[in-house]
Amino acid sequence: MSTTTAPAASSLPTPRFRISRHRRLAWWGSSLACGLSVIGLALCWLNPAIGAPLRPGLDFTGGTQIQLERRCDGACTPLNPSQVQRRLAGLQPPVQAGEEAPNLAATAVQVLDQGRSLVLRLPDLNPEQAAVVISAVQAEAGALNPAATAIDTIGPTLGDQLLKGSVISLLVSFAAIAAYITFRYDRIFAALALLCLGHDVLITCGVFAWLGLIAGIEVDSLFAVSLITVAGYSVTDTVVVFDRIREQKSLLSALSVSDQVDVAVDATLTRSLYTSLTTLLPLVALIFFGGSTLFWFAVALTIGIAVGSWSSIGVAPTLLPLFSRR
Amino acid sequence: MARQQGWFALILALAIAAGALLVSFPLQLGLDLRGGSQLTLQVLPAGSIKSVQKEQLEAVKDVLDRRINGLGVAESTLQTVGDDQLVLQLPGEQDPSRAAKVLGTTALLEFRAQTSGTEQEMTGLLKLKRQAQAVLNQSRARAAAIANGQPEPPETQFKAEDLARSLQQLGVAIPPGSSETEQLELLLAAVNSKVVALFEPATLTGRDLTGAGRQQQQSGSGWDVTLSFNSEGGRKFAELTKDIAGTGRLLGIVLDGRSISEATVGPEFKPAGITGGGASITGNFSAEEARDLEVQLRGGSLPLPVKLIEVRTVGPSLGAENIRSSLIAALSGLALVAVFMVVVYRLAGLVSVLALSLYALFNLAIYALIPVTLTLPGIAGFILSIGMAVDANVLIFERVKEELRAGNTLIRSIDTGFSLAFSSILDGHVTGLISCVALFALGTGLVKGFAVTLAIGLVLSLFTALTCTRTLLRLLMSYPALRRSTYFLPAAQLPASAS
Repeated sequence: MSTTTAPAASSLPTPRFRISRHRRLAWWGSSLACGLSVIGLALCWLNPAIGAPLRPGLDFTGGTQIQLERRCDGACTPLNPSQVQRRLAGLQPPVQAGEEAPNLAATAVQVLDQGRSLVLRLPDLNPEQAAVVISAVQAEAGALNPAATAIDTIGPTLGDQLLKGSVISLLVSFAAIAAYITFRYDRIFAALALLCLGHDVLITCGVFAWLGLIAGIEVDSLFAVSLITVAGYSVTDTVVVFDRIREQKSLLSALSVSDQVDVAVDATLTRSLYTSLTTLLPLVALIFFGGSTLFWFAVALTIGIAVGSWSSIGVAPTLLPLFSRR
Repeated sequence: MARQQGWFALILALAIAAGALLVSFPLQLGLDLRGGSQLTLQVLPAGSIKSVQKEQLEAVKDVLDRRINGLGVAESTLQTVGDDQLVLQLPGEQDPSRAAKVLGTTALLEFRAQTSGTEQEMTGLLKLKRQAQAVLNQSRARAAAIANGQPEPPETQFKAEDLARSLQQLGVAIPPGSSETEQLELLLAAVNSKVVALFEPATLTGRDLTGAGRQQQQSGSGWDVTLSFNSEGGRKFAELTKDIAGTGRLLGIVLDGRSISEATVGPEFKPAGITGGGASITGNFSAEEARDLEVQLRGGSLPLPVKLIEVRTVGPSLGAENIRSSLIAALSGLALVAVFMVVVYRLAGLVSVLALSLYALFNLAIYALIPVTLTLPGIAGFILSIGMAVDANVLIFERVKEELRAGNTLIRSIDTGFSLAFSSILDGHVTGLISCVALFALGTGLVKGFAVTLAIGLVLSLFTALTCTRTLLRLLMSYPALRRSTYFLPAAQLPASAS
């Protein structure tokens, strides 16, 4: 099999698995996934309740999120979110001179874990106002466990900064990776690696657009982090295959580009799958045991890395013959 | 072989050093893991200053540092972030409202004499202010009682038409649909700015203070805040009080543009003013308000206004839960990867698991050394880097397998495997590091924690994958009993000629 140590014209490798035979299927699959992603992003954007390609979370919109745990032995008494909502709507929190009173009527209340915990989404509150809100909830829901309370407040200016920072760091890292790949490989390889990167990021975003539409899942700055990580990983994965093609170019010059690709993909298939698997295993552990804060972050990374592994086998190599012919 | 042993000794020494380091320097945990509050303040440009400079940020930090010390919060840290932000961490603090209040105000104290000829207007305004404040206090107490489910105290009302007339007189438009409380607040704000406008510009400010204190009022339950001036301030204060003594004009004490006290100066001070370099503010403060004002005045006023832009509070048991779940995730991730490697790569897999454990140890030691404050996203970065660290080993071992299948000897296969896999490993790590740099340079707190741990992980994995795995493998290969290709891949895949 190996052509690296003892090459001979007669022993040209014959790959067991020929990716080019399945390339139409691969292209159709990827196009379908990309198409669905674009539709999801567009639907999100057109949705008046979202108005952006992805449902922005607290980090980007600004506001206050309060997470509370009720102190109840055994089963908690049922709690109706609208009860809490009504009480909060009638609340008059202290206002500092020169500032507008927050509109608490727009509070979104979620009751989780069989009534054990509550998540409130409110407009931007100062700590004093948040304390008033918590004591109002306490009056409705009974005793709360103060040690299990979490309050996050993001001011509107910071929300804008975070959004801008996330978008800029995404673009900068894509550009820097593109520059490095172009410097290390020829232009066609670089273009394909970047195409794959776009493919992986687009599908990851698409899944979250649909999740946002259907399940109300929001994206936060950790989502932006996962996209950047996926981008780096996607290129790494693609490069392994291209590295092999480049290495074998002189040895396999007798073969057509499409056959060269088959040989390279076949030779690197196991390692592509294994490297993705070794990265996915810790992520799966994170999904199951990592807790709620990191759950969607781990999901985004898992999707991105799985798609990245697919594109490095099914998309980038199979497109190479098309580009090389010109 | 001597070279391998040298490397092995180095790795062993590093492992011992890392272990010792971890024992003596415990890891720093972020607030999301230990519980506490984190406040981010943005310094705003004001007046002639269009953008915040480094010196101004430092000046603001100095003032805030003094205020925090005055609050007496243990273990708090205040750091500058970026060009115009400050982050205050209060471990264990679950109610940051007091800190937020004390830090967020400018605390510019001004002593201003009333403009002559405005006595009548002032009297009317102050009466209106007292009335509105009283009604507002009662209606707030009532709202709080309702919210807490306590019996409602009787409602006192400002007559609706009185309120509307007063607002109209002050030239304030009533927003449609506004509640009584909102209108009262509007009224108070309007009255306050009118009152402040009736004073002359300040001749004496908080800059001339040398100290501040508080004392309980002899009659009544309120507190006063006492002030002491430097000699310049004492002279100015005497002059100011001399001017208005016995005239009926008031001395306004204005804090951040709000009149907090309007005092009369008796005719007995006509000859020389109030001397002695001290004064007190009778504002009917609660004990806490008096203490906070004292802390602010002692710390001095902020050279630029600040705005609270982010507050994150995590309860201690939530933090403990976060530690527990991320620890389980990290350990089970490591275990899954370890099982996978041993099943697929046999002896080599075992070596890579050893290298991986060293990798985890070195990683933690570096966190303790730098020190890196571990946050939840930081731990996620660490867990992810475990997966990526193994990638390098997979790339190498697949190459080794290939060489073995081609009929090469074991030692030769191992060496070729390492050298041929290097290029892809390097590319992967460089692209990963590029992402980390972009994240670190442009990201905020949470994102930075992830970027730092992932970057440390990537650099370290280059070392452990290329050095530790190789050295351990070569060392094992010096024992003839272990030098068997079947320890690396199933016999069926070996060419017939190889043993």
